[in-house]
Amino acid sequence: MALRKSMLVARADLRMAMKVKMVKYGLIIMSAMAPIMLIGLVLLLALSAPAVAAPVIAMLDPMISPVIGIMVIVPASMISANALVGEKEQNTLEPLLCTPLTDRELLIGKVLSSFIPTITLLLGSVIVTEIATNIILTSVGAEVILFPGVSSLFLLLVAGPILIAAVVSVMVLISGKVKRVYEAYQSSGVVVMVFLIPLILPMLSMNSGGTADISLVWLSNIFTLLFASVLAIVTWTLAIRRFNRDRIVSM
Amino acid sequence: MDEVIIEDLTKRFGDLTAVDHLELNVPEGSIYGLLGPNGAGKSTTIRLLCTLLKPSEGTASVGGFDIIESPVSVREIIGVMPEESNHTLYATMSTYDNLEYFGRLYGVPEAEIPGRIEELLTFMGLWERKDDPAGELSTGNRQRLALCRALLHRPRVVLMDEPTSALDPIAAKKVRELIISLAAKYRQTFFINSHNLAEVQRMCGRIAIIDKGRILLNGKTKELRSKLQASQNFTIRVNDDLEKALSIARSMDFVTSAEEEVDSIRVTIEDPLGNNSTLMRSLLSEGVQIFEFAEQETTLEDLYLDVIKGGVT
Repeated sequence: MALRKSMLVARADLRMAMKVKMVKYGLIIMSAMAPIMLIGLVLLLALSAPAVAAPVIAMLDPMISPVIGIMVIVPASMISANALVGEKEQNTLEPLLCTPLTDRELLIGKVLSSFIPTITLLLGSVIVTEIATNIILTSVGAEVILFPGVSSLFLLLVAGPILIAAVVSVMVLISGKVKRVYEAYQSSGVVVMVFLIPLILPMLSMNSGGTADISLVWLSNIFTLLFASVLAIVTWTLAIRRFNRDRIVSM
Repeated sequence: MDEVIIEDLTKRFGDLTAVDHLELNVPEGSIYGLLGPNGAGKSTTIRLLCTLLKPSEGTASVGGFDIIESPVSVREIIGVMPEESNHTLYATMSTYDNLEYFGRLYGVPEAEIPGRIEELLTFMGLWERKDDPAGELSTGNRQRLALCRALLHRPRVVLMDEPTSALDPIAAKKVRELIISLAAKYRQTFFINSHNLAEVQRMCGRIAIIDKGRILLNGKTKELRSKLQASQNFTIRVNDDLEKALSIARSMDFVTSAEEEVDSIRVTIEDPLGNNSTLMRSLLSEGVQIFEFAEQETTLEDLYLDVIKGGVT
């Protein structure tokens, strides 16, 4: 299997998607919403109570940082929903299926075309939030902290990519099964709802004092990692096994 | 050596049998035409050969590779121009990028891609449009671009579905000449579906006529045309008395059909060598003035219509 060929497919898909302004700016706006919300909250706390801003932000972190992951999963599912059925609707799928690409190379290419921009946006959102938070806190003389904090970084940067890979795999699988792009988009709504659940688990770890129970946060993070890993393996295996050129062409 | 060998190939879609126990051999370096009415199974045959569809029964090999056992090897050596190929390009990609993308997917050496693209686009008259999005090209130009895409990696076998359907006569002629020269020069094999009988007649050394998924006739074009020589069409231009000429012709046993045209009658005569002079004498003796008694060339259209109607087997 040549990853080079998969990368060719991914790059071509991305270039085409980025030529559509609605997709390009939609992706950026969706991903920018979470950092804007978090940075806005930091700014509000830093201006209103600079002395306690850092500890309050650290306390809220496990419950609010996962929103970055939630906001990038939505565009990931939208792009991958278009993967195969979009090519079919535009009549470009047959020539692509006639090339020497193996099923695996083609599917990896389609997964990467959604995974790469989503991970880029996730990393970008985390970095922007970290830098902006500390610029704001430093400017008001507050303590420098990690926001998103360690547990949230684990969730976003370890479990998150695996979860995104699982979402994208299941959407590519669906994209090869449906006849129209809008059917894939409708399915993506349901998929996103299911895959968002692990990301909201840390929000449920709030104790009676209104703070997050850190051991529960880590427990939910570990659960999310395991859940995402199983989902990614199952959905990828299904995507490979159920991929059927004959069915896609005959539909 | 045969580049395409089809053995008992069958494809069913539910109750519909699109390709029914097809048997065909396509020799290396030949241009093979597959003719048939709509729904005959021509496009399904091409889709089976390029491994898009899996056969329900039987198999085929392309360039020595089995379409079921080695689909990737088959796809490496084929070039495909699918049905309505002018709609199968990436509309937002430039003309050049469309070809570069497929050149890379087919594993054309990176250093050779620009030269090959320039050569093909220049030949097709598209080099000036290389930076334009494919979606902005005319239908004919998109078809030319799809042809460039099918030929870019210099495939051993080229499978084409109506390759000149959207081209003007000059461009179609140019494409025919290119196909003929590639088959002769590089021994590339072309398997072409077409409705354009005149085009197939000019280009294809061998043809098969298919209907309802079955081969009705198969062989060298010249040999098949000679099958029709047993009965021959003649155009007889006479004086004003067309009715009289027509009734005389129809009274002859060896005239199988006689039809009135604008200023002539068109007759089909069995065993023409012996019988056309008999008809001519009968017409003259009845006072019909003959201005022209011309043999019509037997065309592939005659053959095609005869086969589809069940006249020639």
